[in-house]
Amino acid sequence: MYEKEKGLVDAYLRGQMSRRSLIRGLGSLGVTAATAGTLLNLGATRALAADFDWKKHSGTTVKLLLNKHPYADALIANLDNFKELTGMDVQYDVFPEDVYFDKVTAALSSGSSEYDAFMTGAYMTWTYGPAGWVDDLSEYINDPEKTNPLYAFDDFLPGVIKSCAWNGQPGGALGSDDAKQWCIPLAYEQNNLTYNKRIFDANGLKVPTNIDELLDTAKAAKAVMNGGYGIGVRGSRSWATIHPGFLSGYANFDQKDLNIDADGKLTAAMNTDVSKEYHKKWVQMIQESGAPDWSTHTWYQVGTDVGAGKSAMMFDADILGYFMNGGTAEAGNLAFSAFAANPAASGPTPNIWIWAMAMSSFSKNKDATWYFLQWVTGPEHDLFGAQKMDLVNPARSSVWADGAFRDKLSGSYPGYVEMHDTSAPGASIKFTAQPLFFDLTTEWAATLQKMVANEVPVDEGLDMLAESVNSQLADAGL
Amino acid sequence: MLTTSPIERILRGLAITLVCLFFMFPIVWIFLMSFQTNETILRIPPSVVFAPTLDNYQALITGKLETAAGMLEINFMRNLGNSLFLSATSVAIGLLLGVPAAYAFARLKFKGSEDIAFTLLSFRFAPPLLVLLPLTIYFQQLGLANTYGGLIWVYQLIVLPLILWIVRGYFEDIPADIEYAYRIAGHDFWSTFRRIALPLAGPGIAAAGLLSFIFAWNNFVFALVLASADKQPVTVGALAFVTASGIQYGQVAAGIVLSIAPTFALALYAQRYLVEGLSLGAVKG
Repeated sequence: MYEKEKGLVDAYLRGQMSRRSLIRGLGSLGVTAATAGTLLNLGATRALAADFDWKKHSGTTVKLLLNKHPYADALIANLDNFKELTGMDVQYDVFPEDVYFDKVTAALSSGSSEYDAFMTGAYMTWTYGPAGWVDDLSEYINDPEKTNPLYAFDDFLPGVIKSCAWNGQPGGALGSDDAKQWCIPLAYEQNNLTYNKRIFDANGLKVPTNIDELLDTAKAAKAVMNGGYGIGVRGSRSWATIHPGFLSGYANFDQKDLNIDADGKLTAAMNTDVSKEYHKKWVQMIQESGAPDWSTHTWYQVGTDVGAGKSAMMFDADILGYFMNGGTAEAGNLAFSAFAANPAASGPTPNIWIWAMAMSSFSKNKDATWYFLQWVTGPEHDLFGAQKMDLVNPARSSVWADGAFRDKLSGSYPGYVEMHDTSAPGASIKFTAQPLFFDLTTEWAATLQKMVANEVPVDEGLDMLAESVNSQLADAGL
Repeated sequence: MLTTSPIERILRGLAITLVCLFFMFPIVWIFLMSFQTNETILRIPPSVVFAPTLDNYQALITGKLETAAGMLEINFMRNLGNSLFLSATSVAIGLLLGVPAAYAFARLKFKGSEDIAFTLLSFRFAPPLLVLLPLTIYFQQLGLANTYGGLIWVYQLIVLPLILWIVRGYFEDIPADIEYAYRIAGHDFWSTFRRIALPLAGPGIAAAGLLSFIFAWNNFVFALVLASADKQPVTVGALAFVTASGIQYGQVAAGIVLSIAPTFALALYAQRYLVEGLSLGAVKG
């Protein structure tokens, strides 16, 4: 790099110059915007290297297990910078999402040392952690010998980083003082409304702001959809049906999945009067305005339908709407809105899904692996991924404060930044951490299916569900 | 002499057409989808009128997949190559080991022969998921994890019992007297096997080989658990089109067309052996 350009980039990284001034300065030196981005990235790598012995594990190789996902693409696109910074080599295996967790489970349960680190969801660590398959990363984070002083752990959004920490006690609060940091977030999804602005504007529909308005708007939308339907939500017999829009709205009424009694025992909490009322509205919404084949709908169908203009809106992951706003029939027509189901709530309370990185307990290169983990979850890579790739929603507040990133989002995704800023304070995992998570939520989804199919009344269905959940918890000694 | 009336002939033709349409429709629809973009596939209502495109095949062959979230790299052709290599090699080894074994079980009645044959068949009873975890641990200790050799060995669990039991039934159907006559003419055991038994059992061996190739080709879970991404077969690779940023239906369809092509061609070529081999081996005289 030439000295003048290098000086400008370093001044920007030290905070002595605004982004606008940097671009203007580099422009006057004949540097294009694309090259400026590259210079900035190289500069950030140099800045990282200045304060920490990144070369300590030079020559070591770590191997990753990754899910085929835009977040993994961002990681791979930036790997050369890590290799240059550390002198380490990184190998990786990428598997399709449909089979990814089978591969992870097989590798971990067999004690394989092939993979040093892997992508995971926070829910999965409730199984992996107590089983002794993943390491508590707190001991690395808190060790100044091993962690770059610029790592800025406090920069993570509190609800997101806490959701990746659990003390291993069934019902233990996420992010409690004694919690173990089983994984560190790459990026996360909030559940909010994605709506088709073209359809809404053409038919005079208003963006709903609570559950009653949601029912009315979805019904009105279905009436004008000409073969399509009003609202997309997931419906397959899977835990994944409960965790997006459904649980986000449910939590907004201060409802929980499980209660913890004085003895620390867990009991079902989904058959309260408020819960029954919410379930009735949710079921009515699907029956009146949902997809005719709702009970088969997963992430893919909900997203594909809103992208194809088959549904007028969806209450699901914001990032799913983000993906569907490009390369689809309705590209550019989708808009975003934070959603609080309860009119009396102070704000939205979206349940979140987190893609995070965890370290295999069977790794033979743990210290070197931590070097990779702190780099990939560090502020520089998070910013790179958010600005240049699709590492959205980034898990660090400094990235959300970045003007270029906010401008990028606001330019192509109307309402996205506002939606995020509104709902982020209330965003966290709303489930109770416990080992029967997948079994109990799958049964909850099956009960919802029966309610929507009118096989069981809502009140009765929830009482039966609660009874079954209590029995399973008791059998498991929880 | 049996005669059929014109009405009966027409009704029969109509029934055959309806049955063919019923069974062929999904294949034809997938074939048509493979020449469409996601947008035309997902339009409401669906239509058979569209401007055909070769983009899906191009994406598969070049390994560059354009999605809503940008360019994705895929290794479909490598997956296809892995499937071909793993299935063909496994079947070749299965035939090499299984055909002589089947002949031995059919002709040489020795102590414990039935028990051994049943034990080999029992490999097909065990659900793959049940044996995979111990296998993974053993493979790691033996250095076979993530190797083509290890996978081909595991694939013998699929192909060997199939070959052995189909071909054994067929050898048993060949009158032993033919072989005895050849032996009396002064030929040894090995040349009797090679010149008499093997040619007579040809259709049965072809049928067993074809069926075991199809079973090996369709296997999903062994390579997924035991090998890295670069050794995955097409059954795992095809899932790469189901991405967080949407399902690439056009590429899924093109992938299906390409992945069924080898087995389809093989089945068309060998179907007369398949029918003959399976039916002859099944009837006891």
